Amino acid sequence: MKFSYNWIQELVDGLEASPADLMRLITIKTAECEGVEAAGAHFAQVVAARVLEAEPVPGSHNRKAVVDAGALGRRTVVCGAPNCRPGIITAYVPPGVSLEGRETGRRVVAGVESDGMLAGGAELGINRDHEGILEFDAEPGAPLPRILPDHVIEVDNKSLTHRPDLWGHHGMAREVAAITGKRLIEPANLGRIPREPAAVQVSIEDLQLCPRYSALVFENVTVQPSPLWLQYRLEAVGLNPINNIVDVTNYVMAELAQPMHAFDADKLAGDTIFVRNAREGERITALNDETYHLSPAALVIADANGPIAIAGVIGGLDSAIGDSTARLVLESANFHAANIRRASSRLKLRTDASMRFEKSQDPVNTVRGLARAVELLELVSPGIRLVGGLADLAAPARTPAPITLPMDWLIRKLGRPIGSAEVRSILESLMFGVTETGPGVFSVSVPTWRATKDISIKDDLVEEIGRMVGYATITPTAPVVPTEPPPDNPRRRFHRAARQTASAQGYHEVYNYSFLSEEDARRFGLAPADHVTVANPISVDQALLRRTLIPGIWKNIRENGRHFDQFRLFEVGMEIHKRESGLPDEIPHLIAAIYERTKETGPLYEVKRLAECLMPGCELRPDTARMFEHPSRTANVLWRGHTVGRLFEFHPDFVEGRAVVLDVDLAQMEALAPVGKRYQPVRRFPESAFDLSVLAARRALAGDLQKQLASFAGRFLESISYLRQYEGAPLPEDAKSVSFRLTVAAPDRTLSSEEVGAIRDAIIEGMRGLGYEMRV
Amino acid sequence: MLESQLQNLAASARERILAAPGPEQLEAVRVEVLGRKGALAEISKGMGKLAAEDRARIGKLLNTAKNDLEAALEERQKRFAGEALRARLDAEWIDVTLPAPGPRPGTLHPLTQIQQELEDLFTSMGVAVLDGPEVESEYNNFDALNIPPDHPARDMQDTFWLGDGLCLRTHTSPVQVRGMAKLGPPLRMIAPGRVFRNEEVDASHEHTFYQLEGMMVDRNVSIAHMLYFMKTLLSHIFGREVTVRLRPGYFPFVEPGFELDIQCLICGGPGCAVCKQSGWVELLPCGLVHPNVLRQGGIDPEEWGGFAFGLGLTRLVMMRYGIDDIRHLQDGDLRFLRQF
Ligand SMILES: [Zn+2]
Repeated sequence: MKFSYNWIQELVDGLEASPADLMRLITIKTAECEGVEAAGAHFAQVVAARVLEAEPVPGSHNRKAVVDAGALGRRTVVCGAPNCRPGIITAYVPPGVSLEGRETGRRVVAGVESDGMLAGGAELGINRDHEGILEFDAEPGAPLPRILPDHVIEVDNKSLTHRPDLWGHHGMAREVAAITGKRLIEPANLGRIPREPAAVQVSIEDLQLCPRYSALVFENVTVQPSPLWLQYRLEAVGLNPINNIVDVTNYVMAELAQPMHAFDADKLAGDTIFVRNAREGERITALNDETYHLSPAALVIADANGPIAIAGVIGGLDSAIGDSTARLVLESANFHAANIRRASSRLKLRTDASMRFEKSQDPVNTVRGLARAVELLELVSPGIRLVGGLADLAAPARTPAPITLPMDWLIRKLGRPIGSAEVRSILESLMFGVTETGPGVFSVSVPTWRATKDISIKDDLVEEIGRMVGYATITPTAPVVPTEPPPDNPRRRFHRAARQTASAQGYHEVYNYSFLSEEDARRFGLAPADHVTVANPISVDQALLRRTLIPGIWKNIRENGRHFDQFRLFEVGMEIHKRESGLPDEIPHLIAAIYERTKETGPLYEVKRLAECLMPGCELRPDTARMFEHPSRTANVLWRGHTVGRLFEFHPDFVEGRAVVLDVDLAQMEALAPVGKRYQPVRRFPESAFDLSVLAARRALAGDLQKQLASFAGRFLESISYLRQYEGAPLPEDAKSVSFRLTVAAPDRTLSSEEVGAIRDAIIEGMRGLGYEMRV
Repeated sequence: MLESQLQNLAASARERILAAPGPEQLEAVRVEVLGRKGALAEISKGMGKLAAEDRARIGKLLNTAKNDLEAALEERQKRFAGEALRARLDAEWIDVTLPAPGPRPGTLHPLTQIQQELEDLFTSMGVAVLDGPEVESEYNNFDALNIPPDHPARDMQDTFWLGDGLCLRTHTSPVQVRGMAKLGPPLRMIAPGRVFRNEEVDASHEHTFYQLEGMMVDRNVSIAHMLYFMKTLLSHIFGREVTVRLRPGYFPFVEPGFELDIQCLICGGPGCAVCKQSGWVELLPCGLVHPNVLRQGGIDPEEWGGFAFGLGLTRLVMMRYGIDDIRHLQDGDLRFLRQF
């Protein structure tokens, strides 16, 4: 929202703060300002000038004009505007003045030196007219009438969300007056509305959706451009000047936050304005030339024939003010905020009116807006006359109960002492009604423009008093809290340890998005329908929520593969799994990968080492490969009897070079992780070790052999470990010899060589019983 | 006779020991002279024939010669051993400038690092660390935080909708409600995590970013307490005393609501490009917990109060490391990641 400094100054008697100071004050006390910019600085130098001569310059469309610029004397300028003709008063811009960021100079146009220039509305920032130079009435040499250099303060709309009153200059002026202790000027004079029967009837179907509808009828209307000062005002705050009637409605909106609409009265059927829901199949062509099909949920303004406006959003084209308009109906209404918001989002149409109504405007404001409009219309449309009095239909006024504000409670919330007198004076400066109902207890009534949504409980008053007294006056104070350790979060601790392990092993942590494309899902053999889907994705390739971290790490591998021959990556993130109803399952996973460009044996065992560091004693079991996995290098990861994840090499169709991935479920791992440790006495008697080799098929699993050996070793087996394996002569073609070292010991004595020999023999015998040849 | 023979033998043996060019020759002398069948042994064998008085004298001479020769031999052996060791060690020269094999430590993502650092800081202040889901119900994400449907404040957070009343959480604030229900008053909690906004991505905007929610609920919690807490926290984060200020900010789940600014750490207040000449940098939204939110958490607002804040972790990381493009944080590029 843009605020004109001059406009605020007009409404705050004796305002002295500079624009920059004002911006700081508003930021600290009221709402966030994004900046302040000088607007129309050139109006300090632009003057009115009378065109004395205007001769065509041969061979161009330009004219050589001589103007009388009052004290600046006669000047010769070259002007391309078609309306440049002797007799008119226009705007003369002397050389050296900056317009639209360009400096006006002395330059030669078509062989004629132009000493400054004549300017149009768009060039000067008064309106958006690029057609010609300005024409107005003033003494040559005088400044442009009622047009002064200004400053525009831009306030962040988000910080005005709860303040319907600040969507107009008068609301902001009220804040400024309270902050600076100056007097606020009321621009509307309710006395301007005659007490007569209305010339138009109003019918409201649902007073909840339209709590108030006020209207006036005017005749003898002249539609013409607004005076330049009014156009300039609108332009400065970002509103487009259109014609005097529409400009007045916008002016009142920008001043009082009350949106208004003017209908051409002669284009309305019947003498009643209906406020009702749209009927099935109704449509309307709006002022923006778009045709809208209206749903019955939409509220419309209608005449006897049908909709003439979408309530609170936009007017209809058929009843719009045009050059021929002679009579008008001026609407100033109040609409239900949420309903307007729904309508405007359904229509995908946000207008200056809908933006204000959705903030819950004050129903009291409608008549005030009309009163202000009466005055302005008389100024911009000479001879205009009111027909009859005010049409005004309203729901019974809601007077919210006053808020009880105990001083001790307030002081506790602020954390700063404050006296009753100061509290009263702050609240009164903001126009709250304050009565002391008991010792240290105020009863506070809320002004109507703050009561629609903004302020209803005593906590809301803490803000009013806090910001006005100044948050900087509150001294930071340590809270008194129990000294006790906070509740533990074992999950976070577990994830942290896993991250630590992975990074210590050389893996770099990546963060990938939670989004996935349908194409990626299919690429990894997943049906898009099995995913949680985003209804309004930024783009189609971000329409699904990931239920696996594999596609993300796959992309990382491919992209980094362009820059590095080998690397290690990992991610800890959520898999999101759809459920029948309710929140999806979010399963934390750790995924780690090693990439090597060379096609040698590959980094599978290196990745397995990470698995073993994370889960001491985990095992790999070969498993059927999914389409993206290497068919003979894919395994489930088992830990403590449970499958907790997957370790696989990417299929060469997916990754050039070798990439091995570990993908494990951290929640399951956490549940399986051993808790607590218990000391085992250090063995006092020596242990004995011996090696055994098993001749087995080439694809026999060493892990299986080891388990089988162990199963025959009996209770004295201390440990068994893989030593080496051998293939080749003199072994048969499809055989290998796998060697293990077994260590045996007893807790209470040294095993005799006979005992050790017996254990060894039992193992050999057991293995032979299973059909293995033992090499001993 | 025997005596002179012994003397000659000892002298020549000594000469040979001293002249032996290597351990093999030395060993040959030892065998020849001092060995079991060596020259000295031979002499000693012939001693039986001698008269008793001669036997004692010659025996003594023999012993002396043997000891002398053994000592000379040992000394010579030591020298050779020393030389051999020196030669071996010299041969064992390796190029210490070659790189060590094996992987280098990896890195934790800068967001992980700052998050862990803050978790530790808060834990040390007695604050619990809580989790919340990335997919939330619309109710928890908005309604429970005093943002009913059709409230204009919903525009402040462009939302990814998932259907069935679910959305990707737009902030970590829903964990406030979960935390109140879980811990009950009084409580102090934070909840760091991933949040989502439906925004186009460019150098300074992301649809996926990271926040840290904080909340304290107790009897008589004031703005002064909140200020103290934030000032302490931020001083730790930035590693020096910071000056903070509050100004009004609107967030439906707090009342009053604030924007907290810190005095610009670059210029210290007079104004510079970083603070857009204002001397202040907007850092985080905070406020006293709205009574409606306390009620949603099952807490009686007449008895308890609290403050809450939301710290932007993504922003902190960018400030700390001077990262100028937010997209680096989630593009998985090792050239970026390995710097941390
Ligand atoms: Zn600065």
